[in-house]
Amino acid sequence: MNYTLLIPEILLTILALVIILFGLLMSDKDKNMLGYLSAAGILASIIAILGTSGSASFFYFYNSLVIDPLSQVFKLIFLTVSLLVVIASIGYFKNNPHQDEYYTLLLLALVGMMVVSSANDLISLFVGFELASMSTYVLAGFEKKNSLSLEAALKYFIIGSLSSALLLFGMSLVYGITGSTNIPVIIDYFRANPLLAASSLGVIGIIFLVAGFGFKMALVPFHMWAPDTYEGSPTVVSSLLAAGSKKMGFVAAFRLLVLFAVAVVPLRLDIQMAFGVLAVITMTYGNIVAISQRSIKRMLAYSSIAQAGYISLAFVVTTQMSVAGGVLLALGHALMKGGAFIAVAVVAYMVLSDNKNAKNTDDLENFAGLSKRAPITAFSLLVFLLALAGIPPSAGFIGKFVLFYAVIIEAVARASSWLLLVVIIAILNSALSIYYYARVIKYMYVLPPTGDKIKEPTPYVVALVLAVIGTIGIGIYPEPFIQMAMNAAHVLGV
Amino acid sequence: MALISLMIAIPLIGAIITFLTRTRQQARAIALISSGISLIISLFLLSRFSSSISAPQFLESTQWIASLGVNLKFGVDGIGLPLVLLSNIVIPLTVVFAWGETKQANQFYGLILLEQVGVLGVFTSLDFFVFYIFWEIVLIPMYFLISLWGGPRKDYSAIKFFIYTHVASLVMLLAIFTLYFMAPPVDPFTGQRTFDMFYLLNSYQIIASPILKDAIFLALLFGFIVKMPAVPFHTWLPDAHVEAPTAGSVILAALLLKMGGYGLFRIILPILPFSGSPGKLITLMAIIAILSILWGTFLALAQRDLKKMVAYSSISHMGYVMLGAAALIPLSVSGAMFQMFSHGLITCVLFMSCGVIQHSAGTRIIGNLGGIAKHMPKLAFLMMAGFLASLGLPAMSGFVAEFLVLVNSYITLPTFVILALFGIVFTAGYHLWAMQRAVFGTYNEKLGHIHDGAGYEIAAMAILVLLIIFFGLNPSPVLNMMTTNANQLVALAAGLKGVIT
Repeated sequence: MNYTLLIPEILLTILALVIILFGLLMSDKDKNMLGYLSAAGILASIIAILGTSGSASFFYFYNSLVIDPLSQVFKLIFLTVSLLVVIASIGYFKNNPHQDEYYTLLLLALVGMMVVSSANDLISLFVGFELASMSTYVLAGFEKKNSLSLEAALKYFIIGSLSSALLLFGMSLVYGITGSTNIPVIIDYFRANPLLAASSLGVIGIIFLVAGFGFKMALVPFHMWAPDTYEGSPTVVSSLLAAGSKKMGFVAAFRLLVLFAVAVVPLRLDIQMAFGVLAVITMTYGNIVAISQRSIKRMLAYSSIAQAGYISLAFVVTTQMSVAGGVLLALGHALMKGGAFIAVAVVAYMVLSDNKNAKNTDDLENFAGLSKRAPITAFSLLVFLLALAGIPPSAGFIGKFVLFYAVIIEAVARASSWLLLVVIIAILNSALSIYYYARVIKYMYVLPPTGDKIKEPTPYVVALVLAVIGTIGIGIYPEPFIQMAMNAAHVLGV
Repeated sequence: MALISLMIAIPLIGAIITFLTRTRQQARAIALISSGISLIISLFLLSRFSSSISAPQFLESTQWIASLGVNLKFGVDGIGLPLVLLSNIVIPLTVVFAWGETKQANQFYGLILLEQVGVLGVFTSLDFFVFYIFWEIVLIPMYFLISLWGGPRKDYSAIKFFIYTHVASLVMLLAIFTLYFMAPPVDPFTGQRTFDMFYLLNSYQIIASPILKDAIFLALLFGFIVKMPAVPFHTWLPDAHVEAPTAGSVILAALLLKMGGYGLFRIILPILPFSGSPGKLITLMAIIAILSILWGTFLALAQRDLKKMVAYSSISHMGYVMLGAAALIPLSVSGAMFQMFSHGLITCVLFMSCGVIQHSAGTRIIGNLGGIAKHMPKLAFLMMAGFLASLGLPAMSGFVAEFLVLVNSYITLPTFVILALFGIVFTAGYHLWAMQRAVFGTYNEKLGHIHDGAGYEIAAMAILVLLIIFFGLNPSPVLNMMTTNANQLVALAAGLKGVIT
């Protein structure tokens, strides 16, 4: 068997183990190089994945893992976010004595996410989820002396465990009906026996799966953990959680629920309708609550909930175009949201260098006159916020464009007024979101600065510039990314 | 030769360089040079342009996003070229007028150049996707111009402008999606679709459902009348104008409003004859036009702030554009196009006058001014010229445009034209009344010693006034360009003659 396609996972696992082992022997100062090592490993994995991109599917370990365009595109999303986060962490955790643990956990979380995106079996899916979740629980509480960070970790842990339990229960019901944990086998079974899928047992199983994935995706009403966790975690970890690990729920739901909706005709409309309602509530709630936030991390958390609502539109029509749009927006969101949190980290650094004991470093007031104090950060955040609002030419615009377009096509083709209503609500939401994004822009560019100009630390600048290039690059030259997303959606046979 | 993309790229490059400059001297020099090069290119286009062809000229097309069928397709015809010319005249003159800007000058001039990029892109792109992107790009620099250099209520006005017009753009986008989807694929074998503007507009006719056709039409129309703006969707304009810096107001009134008008001729008129109920839609457009003309006029009459008065006069003048377009008579349509060109020049003079007065006297409230001609003779002269042009004095460009619109619209929309005539009286009224109270009469000593406008301000205004008089006496260079396209638009609607009442 040819294992070259698994090189990224193998490489990152070995790297994680090497770091934790050698970390024991290294002095605190030498540990600063571990960040560069991790970045190099992630970069190598990205290159390995880009080198093997094809449209074929390869199965491993008795069909429990699959390498196909869908898994590869999500791996690229996870790797990109992790790369940005690692680069920024080189600055954030400089001279921290626990860096070895941090990078090990981060890499293990990354491997977990990659396993989820390749999972072809309920068991490997769950193992991947748990690996990523366990690692990120610890990462969220990484600032051991900060009570907010501990609160964040605890909430994340409790809610995360609950959602895992729900997921597992849903999986057990599905296994009970079908007698298999292999996803294609399950789907084939349901296709052959649609009545079993529509039985009360099958419906309850699906509801639990939707709830379990809903927690991971932070859809309303399963979102309560997200704002607290993103606010309290170390900012670079928030970046990983919001931009990266959240997408696990999406890739899993794409693999399981989209296939399910396509295969089981009697339940298709119900699933689509359910996600239509979830999507509309999620985006509206996220945008409205974001307006009243003073903490930028909370605002970004709610905006991230709203974006999850947009991405869930992919489930509302389950066409190739809509899934492709969902993948594109997930990719764009990874860059925009990841970058935005890193920019917040720069502001925290700036505030803390003014005053060591400052609290609430992400308060809106601290962004006043940012364009004068930290021009690169301010400009990058401007790009990310406008992209999140869907202003062209940006990754956010392309993602929303394809997504909304896919839903409108279906609305016109089916002559369905409720689909049209969903799109109109999505579009109005998109306009509403400008209000709170523009407020941050106003603080950064219009209000007078409250301190002196600072020297922006190089690691942050590198991460921000990479994210800006990605965000605008996808907006200016979207063709290869659209192709990639269409190939990924094609895997699902939609 | 990719002349049009060059014309758009140069201000973009200029903007980036301007942002990076350190001194305001460098910034304004680069801004003037790059916008000036763009002007020279458009003059070259003008010299090579053939007025007898209605199809777009200097076509260039590069594939951009193959899977969606998006091409970077640019070209100009008699609808676009006059507005390209207008943009390239107004932007360098705005830079000259704002020569003395000291606050964050590099960003200020950079944003002005970005506006130029946006409007040139809108007036030349022939692909709906690209058109939409430029349409949206225009918003961001204007948001910053208002919120960074604006007046006391700049936050409210800037965000209102941004969200209001963004919502309108999104509604327009919805219609573009539907058009895109309803059009048959260009390649029936691969199912490849296209965003090509003319292709989609031509495909509009084959949509079966009249209700869907009307819905698309209204969604597009909504996108344009918010931008124009027409009553009742005009409320963002006075706020934006009052708070914007003078350069921002000039660009907003002279160029951004024309984007809405351009949409009428480029997109609305070609599909109007094939819509579900053209008669009703024409009546709707005519009603909006008359409402804008009268409502704008009466509100202008009631204003105490000179700049707000000019803002409302813009609404009223853009109403003529709508009226001429709705009348669908060759000369009313070309008159309406000429009104856009002419209003673009005239409104610059008016807003620049307001800016100079505000700067010099410290107030724009008409009642607090008085007799400023005594200390500001040059400004008073140019301002008077601008105001007379705005109220439609013969021998100035505004007269030609409004005369053409009113006389020819009477053929198909007599009732509406008679209503509009009431507006004319009051238009003359508020212009002269404001001049009399603010500029002439006895000098208001409370103002202290005020000085005349700076040389560069006066120079910019003088050039504009000369252009207004030139095109008033000799409108044919611009009007000829428009006639061929206007005739073609009217010919499309030839079957409608019986429908219009």
